[in-house]
Amino acid sequence: MIKKMFIIFGRDFLSSRRDAMAVYIMVVPLIMAVLVAAFAPGLNDTTVNIAMLESDSAEHIEYIEQYAKVEVFKNIEELERRVNKRDEIAGIIPLGDGHEILLQGNEADIIEMYAVLLNSFYELGLTKEETTATMISFGRTIPPLKAKLTNMLISVTVMLSGMLIAISIVEEKNDDTINAVNVTPISQIGFILGKSLLGSSVAMISIIGAIFITGFYNVNWIMIVIIGFCSMILSLVIGFLQGINSDDFMEAAAGVKMLMLPIAGSIAGYELLSDKWQWTMYWSPFYWAYKANDLILAKIADWPTILLCTGLVIISSTVVFILFIPKIRKGLS
Amino acid sequence: MISVKNLSHIYSNNDKLAINDISFEITKGETFGFLGPSGAGKSTTQGILTGLLKLQKGNVHVAGYNMNKVDNKRFNKIGVSFEQSNVYSKLTAKENLEFYRKLFDVPTREPEELIKLVGLEGKENDRAGSFSKGMKHRLTFARSMINNPELWFLDEPTTGLDPTIAATIKEIINGQKAKGVTTFLTTHNMYIADELCDRVAFIIDGQIKLIDTPKNLKLLYGKKLVDIEFIDNNEVKKETLKLIDDNDKKRMYEIINKYKIQTMHSKEATLEEIFIQVTGRGLI
Repeated sequence: MIKKMFIIFGRDFLSSRRDAMAVYIMVVPLIMAVLVAAFAPGLNDTTVNIAMLESDSAEHIEYIEQYAKVEVFKNIEELERRVNKRDEIAGIIPLGDGHEILLQGNEADIIEMYAVLLNSFYELGLTKEETTATMISFGRTIPPLKAKLTNMLISVTVMLSGMLIAISIVEEKNDDTINAVNVTPISQIGFILGKSLLGSSVAMISIIGAIFITGFYNVNWIMIVIIGFCSMILSLVIGFLQGINSDDFMEAAAGVKMLMLPIAGSIAGYELLSDKWQWTMYWSPFYWAYKANDLILAKIADWPTILLCTGLVIISSTVVFILFIPKIRKGLS
Repeated sequence: MISVKNLSHIYSNNDKLAINDISFEITKGETFGFLGPSGAGKSTTQGILTGLLKLQKGNVHVAGYNMNKVDNKRFNKIGVSFEQSNVYSKLTAKENLEFYRKLFDVPTREPEELIKLVGLEGKENDRAGSFSKGMKHRLTFARSMINNPELWFLDEPTTGLDPTIAATIKEIINGQKAKGVTTFLTTHNMYIADELCDRVAFIIDGQIKLIDTPKNLKLLYGKKLVDIEFIDNNEVKKETLKLIDDNDKKRMYEIINKYKIQTMHSKEATLEEIFIQVTGRGLI
């Protein structure tokens, strides 16, 4: 049966290679991973930008450069033009014995405050060594925004892989080929498992690829594989249900898009709800998968938590899958 | 090769029996025609025999397998050609057949050989999606032979095909028959059934009305008619006379002796006419 499952997989892969939408689904998670890898460091960079004049004292510029990204301009006109550009940058220019802070007006309060305080510290001659506070780091070195984006990308990958299965089933329905396969020696369960291989392998490869591309090399890969396996089950549930319930590609695509709602809801719930309301999302396997990935990517995952998340994803996905097995079998008859 | 005893089938959303207590046997090497109009129960019967529909009531043995027990291995011995062509449109003709051959556990035929056999030579590497309806039908037909089936289910094998290709398909069916393949032919085309079948069954409203050889049926139900066209008072007239009726015989002699004959054709009853006579219903 294993050999025949791979024959089904081979056919699905060949057919998908010739379908623009399927090719898009197969490559888009990796492209998105490249984009996250390329832009996330920039997005994550919270350094304040300061514009200064060449004519300012070298000591002043040097001091500000220790705590902000400094751009130096030849004259006041160039500096003003820079401050008036769309991004957030404050200008600090000498004025008499003191300094003047130039702002476009629509900057975040923190930018204004940071520029004012930084310049005040300079004027007062303060350095960070003079603080009485003790620095304690928890060692969390992963940029949080990058981790969140990568985790969201994993959730999207799960949904897209499910869509790949849905497209493949819709193709079988449109070509009326399910009956033709049903009169060959492959069993229906073999056919279902064979049909699962493309979506699940794309899910697995895309998840691992996305994590690798975004630079999370040092995460616990065993945990990633385990939660990736759970995500595969989620893909199967999404794919088969959408495939069986859809008569054409557009219907399948629309159905999968509807699934964005519980996925987005689960992510939003995890990120935005306070601890006392987190329980409202416990029903969603997407919530547990997202939570597990979040902990793994942040390198603060422990095995009991991961196993709990994994178990809950497997149980909820499997229960849904089992409940719909008669419908799936009927749809493939 | 096929044994059906007291087979009945009902669809859940319909109180009426789709198949109502039918029984028949098909011996090895026989070409058996299952004839009836749309909705008579032909496809339901074929669905049960091929295992696509679950057996609900009755005893059915196909190619040595009891259809009460699901065993997909039986498909190694069976070939099925569907009425509606069903091939993967994104795969080429050759890829379609290559895919199916790998699903069988028995020696299979070469895809190129089958493609050539059904007249699709030169189209091996064209995607099936670009094929005409007839070409897809031929590819579906070719696919049904890929595992050298001992038992062959053909559903309307010549529907939608031009006469030349239909003749080729009939030749292939006869060729398979010569090799000892048992064929279950479902059709509403009585001419095809007449040409190809050793025996035919008439099914209507889920019940088999009769089973016999086409020759016996013609002898039993045929009226041995003669169509005569003749000229009477400069006017062409036409009469159909029964050769078994004494009055009609006398009338025929009279016409021959008295008038100038234009045309005269002896006419056997067709299976279609017999079907209508037996069932009281047409075939469409």
